[in-house]
Amino acid sequence: MKLYKKEGNILQILSFPNETAEKGDYLLVEDADAGKALIAQVIDMQFASIPGVLEELLRSLPDGGELIQGEDFDPLEIAPHITYIQDASLLVCKIRATIEGETLTPSSSWLPSRSQSTIKKLPIPTLLKLAKVDGKLPILMGSTKDASPLTIDASSLDGRLNIITGKKETGKSHLSKLLMLNLIGYGATVVVFDLNGEYHSLGMTSDGKRNTYYDKIHVLTPAQNFKVALKQLNLQVLLGILIHALHLPGTSAREFRRIWQSLKERDMLTLHELGEAIRNWHCNQHVRDALFSRYHALVNSGFFTDETGGTTLLEECLFKAKEHGGAIIINLRNTSTIDRQIVVEYVLGKLVELLTSWKLKAAFLFAEEAHLYLRETYWDDIVTRMRHFGIFTTFITNQPDTIRENIYRQADNIFLFNFTNEHDLEVVSRAARVDAETVKSIARDLPPHYCLTLGKVVKDFPMVVKVKTLDVKTMGETRLFFKNAD
Amino acid sequence: MIQQHTITTTQKYNFPHPTTDTMLPQRLIQLSLHTLKTVQNNTIQLNQQTIQQPNTETHTIQLNPKPITLKPNRTQTTIAAVDTSNIKIGETPTGIIAAVRGAAVWKQNKHYHYTRLGPFLFHITEENKRQLYQTLANAYLNTNNTIHAYPLNLTQMPNRIANLLEKWLQTTLTKTLTNSLILLDGSLTAGTPDTPTQLMKETLDNARKRNNTVLAFSKMTNLRANGYLITDALPPHTPPYMLETYGLKPKPPTVLLGEVYVAKLTNGNYAFRLDIDKEIAYEQKIEAVQKLLGNDHLQQSYPETLRLAHILCTFTANEVIAMQHFTTRHYNLKIVNRPDMHRLLFGPYGKGDLNA
Repeated sequence: MKLYKKEGNILQILSFPNETAEKGDYLLVEDADAGKALIAQVIDMQFASIPGVLEELLRSLPDGGELIQGEDFDPLEIAPHITYIQDASLLVCKIRATIEGETLTPSSSWLPSRSQSTIKKLPIPTLLKLAKVDGKLPILMGSTKDASPLTIDASSLDGRLNIITGKKETGKSHLSKLLMLNLIGYGATVVVFDLNGEYHSLGMTSDGKRNTYYDKIHVLTPAQNFKVALKQLNLQVLLGILIHALHLPGTSAREFRRIWQSLKERDMLTLHELGEAIRNWHCNQHVRDALFSRYHALVNSGFFTDETGGTTLLEECLFKAKEHGGAIIINLRNTSTIDRQIVVEYVLGKLVELLTSWKLKAAFLFAEEAHLYLRETYWDDIVTRMRHFGIFTTFITNQPDTIRENIYRQADNIFLFNFTNEHDLEVVSRAARVDAETVKSIARDLPPHYCLTLGKVVKDFPMVVKVKTLDVKTMGETRLFFKNAD
Repeated sequence: MIQQHTITTTQKYNFPHPTTDTMLPQRLIQLSLHTLKTVQNNTIQLNQQTIQQPNTETHTIQLNPKPITLKPNRTQTTIAAVDTSNIKIGETPTGIIAAVRGAAVWKQNKHYHYTRLGPFLFHITEENKRQLYQTLANAYLNTNNTIHAYPLNLTQMPNRIANLLEKWLQTTLTKTLTNSLILLDGSLTAGTPDTPTQLMKETLDNARKRNNTVLAFSKMTNLRANGYLITDALPPHTPPYMLETYGLKPKPPTVLLGEVYVAKLTNGNYAFRLDIDKEIAYEQKIEAVQKLLGNDHLQQSYPETLRLAHILCTFTANEVIAMQHFTTRHYNLKIVNRPDMHRLLFGPYGKGDLNA
């Protein structure tokens, strides 16, 4: 390989057929005289612009487009040299760092010697060691392109905002399950909004046996084993539901507060009494109508109950998880949109309540397709305000444009699976922790289950990794009509 | 210039192997390797210069304004063409390294086939140029003493070697094909250092013996009629047609072994000087051109077979790079870049490679 050009932090390197390099590979451009080396990542590969190649290709085609047949008598065997030159490629590389001695700096301000520099592939394990991508809480994500393991540190997800995105069936949920299981393995508290009911069997192996996570997976299905008694509800949490999920106007919310306090003082916080109180409350008819409609929404959700004994409390699960680590799976499958929003608001409100009062230290929130149950403006709240309370969110989506740009800008880690759609790539490329060229070039060519990992987990050295398989019952398979056709 | 080199004949293409004529490629390889041995561990300057030797001498002739109208004859006929090319790929302290390649193309049963010989690389120096040429000429031209009569310019040596290869290819084709049309690049003028009259006569004789017709197309001509180049001022007739010429008398020792025509074979402003073997009957000459029209694809009045021969033998830029790569690798040459005085003195106002 020979250094050809440097423009900004882009290096162009001439590579010959016997030198194999692929997108995502890291190269070390070493200038021995300068005592420094550049670490660059291949983000694109092109044919080298070799004079005469077009002529060479065209001359084998006579008029009419049929290939001319013939023989070459090449006594000196020049042809392999021609092929060698013709097959030379140009590697477009992004400079990621400068290494001087043992020190890595994110600098690309110096120019290595074009004639004297040596260029070689930088093995991923060496890079990981140089970048100190390790830690005391390792999570084995999978294997890199050179078959070496990629291990990230669980603490690099702590306090961070993560995004897992990619098109359908590329392995997003699989990775989120892997991260989630590893986090609870290290004693973390995890809350999962499970939109498709695919997390509830994570306590089982693929052949149906209990695994080590069995006791740590707590599945809460709204209106079934997950109901809330009004008496156990905090007014702020319920107001959150009414205002954010059911869009109750401010005036009506004030009246509701009064009704609630009135019932609470009389120890009559039941659904029936709440309905009666609204019916008999002296207030504007419009306010009463507004309150009634929300009341019926609450009742119809089946999520609220008056029987405290039969309910499974979110708090109990969270406290249990707090002790030894665990995941509370909120199973939102078969739940209507409005009920989903009610449940999510409740869970988030409850989490904030527990975190504010320091009953919980912190929680990792995994939100699949969050745009389906959270108001758009609410996302900012999750990634900013709730972050300070100790809710560290991981968004999982195949519609990256549903996540607002300011969230991408704040994302600490992005796990990017294949996207072929230019628009989707454009959206993801706005993330602050990565350059657009890398995202657009590498993500487009990722095979299924390969993930471009960006951000703090890899110390800003983008890595392509094949996510390892999990021996758990994933339940994420698409139901097929022609499943047994072959 | 167009030059052609035949390939080693294969039964696959119905080309016989006349043992006497296979000497030249063998000699080329031997001499190529021999000369390259003298260049080991040397330096090489890669700057290229075009080797051209334009012939500015003009002749005045007359044109018969009455055209010979032509009608394509689709009787299945094999059409073959040869061409060779050469290029200087570098300079050494003692000489030049040049490459020579030749191609034979033939159209049979509506399909084009080719055989390409080379590239042959030579390290030509002032010391070895005469011996090199003499050896090749002896192997092919069989003219032991002719060589001494002409000066040998070092820069013209690649051209000379390519010419020998071309002549050998032409002869091979005339000896191996039957009932075919053989297209040559250039004219049927003989008596020059590279084209001895006897050799050209033998070539044409061989062709006639096997009922082949030799047609020579010149891309450039200096022949003028009434002050105009014969290919420029043509009467308004619908192509394809040919015009006869009269009065061309080459100066001895050069002789003309063909009848000279101006051929305009397709629409458009393209016409070529066409030489057809003088010794064949007029009807056969016309029939040959008509068979060419009926069997080959003609674009801009030029036969595709001949065009392909030219294309296949010329060197592309990446081939030149590859040959430079080959020589530097195999003979441990060190590339040097001598300063270009034109560029040094005149900068962008000097001539030379603007992209360098």
